[in-house]
Amino acid sequence: MRRSENTSMIHLVIYTEAFFFLCLIMSFIYMAYNAGFAPRELSRLDIRSAGVYTVVLIASSFTLHFAEMGYSRGKPAALKAWLIVTIVLGAVFLAGQGTEYGRLIGDNITMNGSVFGASFYTLTGFHGLHVVIGLIILLIVLILAFLGDSRSAIRTIAPYWHFVDVVWLFVFTVVYVLPQFSSI
Amino acid sequence: MGATIKIPEPASPFPGLGVETEQGLLQWICAVDHKLIGIMYLVMSLLFFVIGGALALLIRVQLAVPLNHFLPPETFNQFFTMHGTTMIFFVAMPAIFGFSVYFVPLMIGANEMAFPRLNAFGFWMTLFGGLLLYFSFLAGGAPDAGWFNYAPLNEKNYSFHKGIDYFSMGLLISGIGSVATSINIIVTVLHYRIPGMKLNQLPLFVWMVFVNSFLLLAAFPSLNAALALLLLDRELNAHFFNTAAGGSALLWQHLFWIFGHPEVYIVILPAFGMLSEVFQVFSRKPIFGYAFVAASSVAIALLAFGVWAHHMFAVGMGNVANSFFSAASMLIGIPTGVKIFNWLGTIHGGKIRFTTSMMFAIAFLIEFTIGGVTGIAFAIFPIDWQLTDTYYVVAHLHYVFIGGTISGLLAGLFYWFPKITGRLIDERAGKWFFWLFTIGFNFTFFVQHILGMIGLPRRVYTYPNLPWYGTLNFVSTAGAMLMGVSGLVLVYIIWRYGRSGKPAGTDPWNAYTLEWATRTSPPPLKNFEELPAARGYRAWWEMKQSGLDGGAAVSQKEIEP
Amino acid sequence: MSICFPLPQPFHIVLLQAVEDPASIQAERINHLFNHFNIVAALVLLLVIVLAAWFSIRYRRRHGDNSEGSPKSGNRTVEIMMIGVPTLVLAWFFYEAFTVGNAVMPSSNPTRPPDIVITGHQFWWEADYPGSHVVAANVVHLPVGKELLMELRSADVVHDWWVPQLGNKMDLVPGKKNYLWLTINKPGDYIGACSEFCGEQHAWMRIHVVAQSPEDFSRWLDSNAVDASPPKDDLARAGEMLFQTRSCANCHRVAGTPAAGVAGPDLTHVGSRPTLLTGMLSTNERNLADWIDHPQEIKHGAYMPEFLFAKDSVLALAHYLEQLK
Ligand code: HEA
Ligand code: HEA
Ligand code: HEC
Ligand code: CUA
Ligand SMILES: [Cu+2]
Repeated sequence: MRRSENTSMIHLVIYTEAFFFLCLIMSFIYMAYNAGFAPRELSRLDIRSAGVYTVVLIASSFTLHFAEMGYSRGKPAALKAWLIVTIVLGAVFLAGQGTEYGRLIGDNITMNGSVFGASFYTLTGFHGLHVVIGLIILLIVLILAFLGDSRSAIRTIAPYWHFVDVVWLFVFTVVYVLPQFSSI
Repeated sequence: MGATIKIPEPASPFPGLGVETEQGLLQWICAVDHKLIGIMYLVMSLLFFVIGGALALLIRVQLAVPLNHFLPPETFNQFFTMHGTTMIFFVAMPAIFGFSVYFVPLMIGANEMAFPRLNAFGFWMTLFGGLLLYFSFLAGGAPDAGWFNYAPLNEKNYSFHKGIDYFSMGLLISGIGSVATSINIIVTVLHYRIPGMKLNQLPLFVWMVFVNSFLLLAAFPSLNAALALLLLDRELNAHFFNTAAGGSALLWQHLFWIFGHPEVYIVILPAFGMLSEVFQVFSRKPIFGYAFVAASSVAIALLAFGVWAHHMFAVGMGNVANSFFSAASMLIGIPTGVKIFNWLGTIHGGKIRFTTSMMFAIAFLIEFTIGGVTGIAFAIFPIDWQLTDTYYVVAHLHYVFIGGTISGLLAGLFYWFPKITGRLIDERAGKWFFWLFTIGFNFTFFVQHILGMIGLPRRVYTYPNLPWYGTLNFVSTAGAMLMGVSGLVLVYIIWRYGRSGKPAGTDPWNAYTLEWATRTSPPPLKNFEELPAARGYRAWWEMKQSGLDGGAAVSQKEIEP
Repeated sequence: MSICFPLPQPFHIVLLQAVEDPASIQAERINHLFNHFNIVAALVLLLVIVLAAWFSIRYRRRHGDNSEGSPKSGNRTVEIMMIGVPTLVLAWFFYEAFTVGNAVMPSSNPTRPPDIVITGHQFWWEADYPGSHVVAANVVHLPVGKELLMELRSADVVHDWWVPQLGNKMDLVPGKKNYLWLTINKPGDYIGACSEFCGEQHAWMRIHVVAQSPEDFSRWLDSNAVDASPPKDDLARAGEMLFQTRSCANCHRVAGTPAAGVAGPDLTHVGSRPTLLTGMLSTNERNLADWIDHPQEIKHGAYMPEFLFAKDSVLALAHYLEQLK
């Protein structure tokens, strides 16, 4: 089957966004090595709860895939159900990130407090922003589905959502996992 | 010449500027037609060119004599920052996009861009970015840290007025527009080609814009990231670049040049594409080494990402890194040389017509080579240690920008002018413009090589009266004035002949590509009623040869240069 | 020195003064490389010009000729040549770049202590001579014939040290130490400038290097290691009083007095420096008075504020400073 214009377009969006996150991740690493993060601040990160939310976000990729399958098999009920699950999972992830932010701010780790704070909030914040955008689009798709619209918007948005999830895996690795193994 | 054929008066390329239609100006604001948007891009570019050029002339007046007091230092610093930023982001980029969105669909036989509304969005973002940048003049002061805006000078504690915030927002917004338009161009080329036109048979202009769009999509995110971090620093007191609080000065340089170097190729590759068309048509020959010209663009685009730190040879990276970036930078000279020699091969054995367009193309060959070899001088990093941040760099960048990009754009403008407006310019006026511009340009910038070698740093608002400084700067200023005059001639030509030049007919150059196959000039709202029946990079020529052009060839007229 | 530019005589004199008249071993190496490059660049340019001109004339369309040009569209041998020859040329230059680069800059992380530490400030230079008590400003004295290691730092934004006749540039990056090797081989006065844009008065952040024989240099060092000479007359004494009690002492150091500020240049021997403000004014009482009276009119944007002094206070200050030889 010939790819549609929309699919090409979303692939290009992903292509350019990938470079954007590459730059942010490299900046994070650069700051870690050059400016150095305070170990006290790094140790405040909660890898366990973040790990749980990571699993939640990855799960949402699978549920979105099920939704898409529901769509291509012509089962609108499956499409709607899995979409709802996906949106809930995405929201849970955001809520998790919100609590993490709340806790860190309580610990006085802020955007303007330290190099670590700035790097952390910027990287995870930009990712979170992309999750929010994804959720909004998924909501629109859901509403359209309830209105009986049968356009292939889900086909177009699905690669984006998967991309956001994969980016999180990298962010998680760099922000949470690597510091466990090195002294940055 | 035989009997002259009567050519009908063309429709106006600027509909609705008068009051004769009901829609009036609204037609432009709501426009989604790729041709109208293309024209808006080009007009925007010209407007900013006059502004950026006026700033340059003021800079040159201040530098005409040693210890001059024409401009105070803070104004001078704002002016060169605005000049550089304007020329790159709001002259070169919109001009390239203008030609791209106007001609890419036409050259591949399409009736529209893939996403017409996204196309309009891209234009308006670019325009608003530019307006926002200039609004800074009213909001306390324009940005004053140079177009690459080095940290920590770009931080609040060193540049406390709002100029740099406007700079960041303006570039961010126009950057989003550029990304949108690039995506649009790629999708258009991928999906809207006439059936049978393979990707490896695209007209070279389309091919280079296509490759270039991938380059742009990979480069702009880095600028956007840098600007985002800078805005966080300035607005929320983060510490990415604030060295006093643990930030890094070099992170900015890396992020900026990972964008900045590809950016300079982004503004040259489409010009290369235009020149490739111009050389063919006015030499009456197919391109020499199509595959090499096409493939070398890909090589340049890929190499462009491995050379950014050649702008940082003097920051103390160590010789291992220096050598790596030096080698990568020199390598770019090879595919670029391939292009130059293939163009020379194209004119070899041709029947060259010296139209204004072709004159710019020939001048380009020489001027760009000057700019290119001085680039190689910097790539040899010990030489760069002497010459970086001097007027030698200013000379290099203007030779590649003006001798390269602007000459290419002008060649393209004069080539496509009859298609866009439906009218011909008076070649004599064109020649006047060419000579004024080219002589002025070379006087302005050639002497700057010498100024750099004898020790004049760039970005100085004045200089002491050392031997030769005054004389050479004065020559440079005189040349700039000549360019200023030529700018007026250009505006006059566009204004005068765009409205009342001789009607051009659909195909005045007897050209090779499909934009000349439309039924009228300027093309009707719907470009093609039926799919053109050809495929190669000289599709329209093939059609004319095989009599499939629907008799359009009849309206051809010989243009005496 | 080999001749690199077939330029008319007057131009050659210009070039002789700067990049073309190297006064250090490092500058000579680079200059040599640059000459090689210039020859090759001139040949490349000549080739393109000749081909472009020749083809333009030879293949211009004759009047009334409406035929097409030759249909040939490629030639494998020619393509190989246009890839191969530049590759060889560039490979050679890469080799030269590599060797010269390593000779000029043996290591970016030296182990021995520096002979001189230069700190860039908006918009002036500080020169520390470790091991002596000398802290000079703007006019930098250096000995000839010795391999000097210079350490470069910045107190605020990025600056760049460049004295064309002494060779390569090096940036002064805040938060980073950079090094420069320098073996001067001719005594003389060399003029340079800060070459990285660093703010409003980047243009007046110029450099004056005085290269001296080792004997002259150590004499200079000794005479500058001593404390400031005490004021010689009443006016100067009044000036010193003002200097210590008004804000001057907060920003400037005058060795041997309580003034120990570091925000501005050291003034212990300001009267012995030929120029003020990195070359903007020559040093004399009048210019000192002008500067103290209205610094922002003379060097707008410099980090020395305007004061409200009475005319005679200004004159006293200037008189005092002028005596600090
Ligand atoms: C259109 C834009 C454009 C283009 C095409 C180029 C092309 C090149 N540039 Fe340039 N460059 C700029 C725009 C551009 N540049 C700008 C704007 C700056 C300054 C930014 C700033 O600081 O403000 C800059 C600065 C700059 C620097 C940093 C200087 C410094 O600040 O210290 C360097 C260093 O390596 C460099 C290198 C090169 C090289 C190797 C090429 C090569 O691509 C050139 C290749 C072309 C040729 C070599 C000529 C044709 C080839 C032949 C005829 C074949 C035979 C040739 C040989 C064997 C040599 N450029
Ligand atoms: C596409 C890019 C482009 C173009 C076309 C130009 C065009 C010109 N530039 Fe530009 N320039 C840059 C890109 C460009 N420049 C960049 C990137 C920098 C670095 C900035 C930085 O350091 O941050 C720079 C810096 C720069 C400097 C160095 C400033 C410094 O370091 O202190 C100088 C000095 O001579 C200069 C001069 C000129 C001149 C005389 C022109 C002329 O060619 C302009 C001719 C055009 C016109 C004159 C317009 C036509 C005018 C009219 C129709 C109206 C007439 C108006 C009046 C008479 C008021 N430029
Ligand atoms: C807020 C800090 C500050 C104060 C207070 C100050 N200065 Fe300065 N002064 C500077 C700086 C910074 C410079 C360097 C200016 C430049 O060249 O850009 C300077 C330069 C000078 C110079 C020129 C030195 C040279 O070699 O070029 C003189 C002389 C001088 N100051 C005298 C004075 C006197 C007298 C006073 C008191 C009335 C004073 N300064 C108060 C910061 C200060
Ligand atoms: Cu210091 Cu420019
Ligand atoms: Cu570059």
